[in-house]
Amino acid sequence: MAEFLFYALALVALCGAAGVVLAKSPMFSVLSLLASFFALSVIYLLMSFPFMAAVQIVVYAGAILVLFLFVIMLLDLGHMGSKVEFSTAMFRSPAARIGAVVALALALAGLIAVQRGALQQAAGAAAETGPRDGLPQLAEALFGRYGLAFQATGMLLLVTMVAVVALAKRDRRKGPGSQGAQGGER
Amino acid sequence: MTEIVIWVVKVVVVWGALLTTAAIMSLAERKVSAWMQYRYGPNRVGPFGVLQPVADGIKFIMKEELVPAGANRLLFRIAPALSAAPAMLAVAVIPFGYTAVIAGHEITLSVADLDIGILYILALGGLGVYGVILGGWASNSKYSLLGGLRASAQMISYELTLMLSIMAVVLMAGSLDLRQIIEGQRAFLDWNIFYQPLAFVLFTIAMFAETNRHPFDFAECEPELVGGFHTEYSSMRFALFFLGEYCAMTVMAALNTTLFWGGPSVPFWPDAPWYVGVVAFIVKTSFFLFLFIWVRWTLPRLRFDQLMRLGWQALLPLALANVMVTGAVIALTAN
Amino acid sequence: MVILQRKELTLAERLYLPEILRGLSITFRKFFKKAITRQYPEEPLPKDEVTRGQPRLVVKDDGHLACVSCGLCEAACPAYAITIDGHEVDRPIEREPERFEIDMLRCILCGFCEEACPKDAIFMSDELELADLTRAELVYGIDKLKRPRSALQKRIDYVYRINDRWRNSSSTP
Repeated sequence: MAEFLFYALALVALCGAAGVVLAKSPMFSVLSLLASFFALSVIYLLMSFPFMAAVQIVVYAGAILVLFLFVIMLLDLGHMGSKVEFSTAMFRSPAARIGAVVALALALAGLIAVQRGALQQAAGAAAETGPRDGLPQLAEALFGRYGLAFQATGMLLLVTMVAVVALAKRDRRKGPGSQGAQGGER
Repeated sequence: MTEIVIWVVKVVVVWGALLTTAAIMSLAERKVSAWMQYRYGPNRVGPFGVLQPVADGIKFIMKEELVPAGANRLLFRIAPALSAAPAMLAVAVIPFGYTAVIAGHEITLSVADLDIGILYILALGGLGVYGVILGGWASNSKYSLLGGLRASAQMISYELTLMLSIMAVVLMAGSLDLRQIIEGQRAFLDWNIFYQPLAFVLFTIAMFAETNRHPFDFAECEPELVGGFHTEYSSMRFALFFLGEYCAMTVMAALNTTLFWGGPSVPFWPDAPWYVGVVAFIVKTSFFLFLFIWVRWTLPRLRFDQLMRLGWQALLPLALANVMVTGAVIALTAN
Repeated sequence: MVILQRKELTLAERLYLPEILRGLSITFRKFFKKAITRQYPEEPLPKDEVTRGQPRLVVKDDGHLACVSCGLCEAACPAYAITIDGHEVDRPIEREPERFEIDMLRCILCGFCEEACPKDAIFMSDELELADLTRAELVYGIDKLKRPRSALQKRIDYVYRINDRWRNSSSTP
């Protein structure tokens, strides 16, 4: 049962991921991503790690994707048809083709790993610790063993954010004349 | 076998109570607003108008369902369900009482006891906004689009405050499990409201914003946006949006009771029987439901820039400071 | 020119919360006040001689309509709601309406017909309710319009009084 669910969810996650790339409208890209995140979250649940599942939903589905939707709606990017349409036009560029091949190879490697029993091992390890002990252990690992890396990641995100703000601000100071087509909408 | 029966009964009772509350709220909203304005409110259907929700339900079903031209049919149709389902699911982890003993069976009074109950509610609360955003976007209408846009911006802003105010309580209880949180508040003086008044105020304000209620109902905003995200909706799909809103309000009111007001704890009666606890829980939750309506008919709507300034410049720093002070005090007293 | 000096808000006012609580207490006190709504069908509207309801035709004490079908009200009606067909009779008034219809869906209850009438035959009654299931039913004929003089007496007296005031006033406006 669990194995069947895993495969079904993995299929949903993969289809969602493919939909992100293939959908014509950015709106449907976001929704495909949402479906993918959901499937991932349930896979975490299957691995008896509810905390990760909930955080996946809270952070990605509840905050980040909403932000994406906000931007899409604000900039009026989501050209709407009454049907869901997909396009493979992007695969005309050679770089995209190489990327697709690499992704396929990775997926294949993952499948082989699952066949060799990696999933059972992981599930077994999760079952040993159990869901009740998962949270303190995660906290210990995050703030103890990997504390420095965790803080560094935080710093990195902060620096990125400051950089983005600085870039956006510099653009605006130049005035609307030099901003190009995108800036004109403000 | 008995476990399954108990479980089914709990599910039926809790969801029945939730949907009944939503129906009662649709009447109470109009009754309370009327009383505050020297009016009677609906009083024609049944004695004192108590059958008004039934009449409304029948009317909703009879109405024609319209899908605007150029709307995305798929999203337009699933948006109301996306709006109503999360709130209905979230109620599952709310503990509405301690342990009941009926015919020799010990029954924990909540549908599911999750270790991460609060995260579960927050996750579903975050998903509730998708119905509003997608409904607004799929309607192919400017008013709806603006409503959805505002809902998404508002939700991101106030979810942070909501989570941080809850985190202060979680720090005190040392658990994300709602049952443990109410166990820690059994005695009257242990209620979190006495230790976390600021978190309570922040949570209450964010609660109004999360459920899109006055004075933060920017997604609907009748004067500017006609009806906001649900402008183009009719019939049962429209009713589903409303059901979702009232269910979300009920869940938030119950969560407020659980986090700050001791849940089913009865003041000055520590060994009260379980059904008194359930009644206490219902009374406290009803007060917050009343507060929703009360505030709606008292305060005018904010301006959108005021909403953003309040969220980011006032509530968020306060919530952060509250969490840090709480954490520091707990760390210091633990040693 | 008036320069309004906006009052500086005190700290308590800028915190919002005390003011919000004050507002809440106000609405809560109103909560227990008695409702002033009139429960309409059970509690009818107050009526008086000045109530300008739907136009009605006067039936004189001898049982005939006062109307001579002169058509002045038909001409005065701004909504073209009145239709009159008259015919001659042997009685001293010589004419009476054969058909007198007011389309109540068009009537705007302005009272011009009452003012126009030279024979005191049409008056605005105090009847206000107007509802039916078809449009045809709302085109009132003589049978639905006629009222005994006694039923309209209050309004008739009022109109006479008003007209006397006009007649007796010496100053021109």
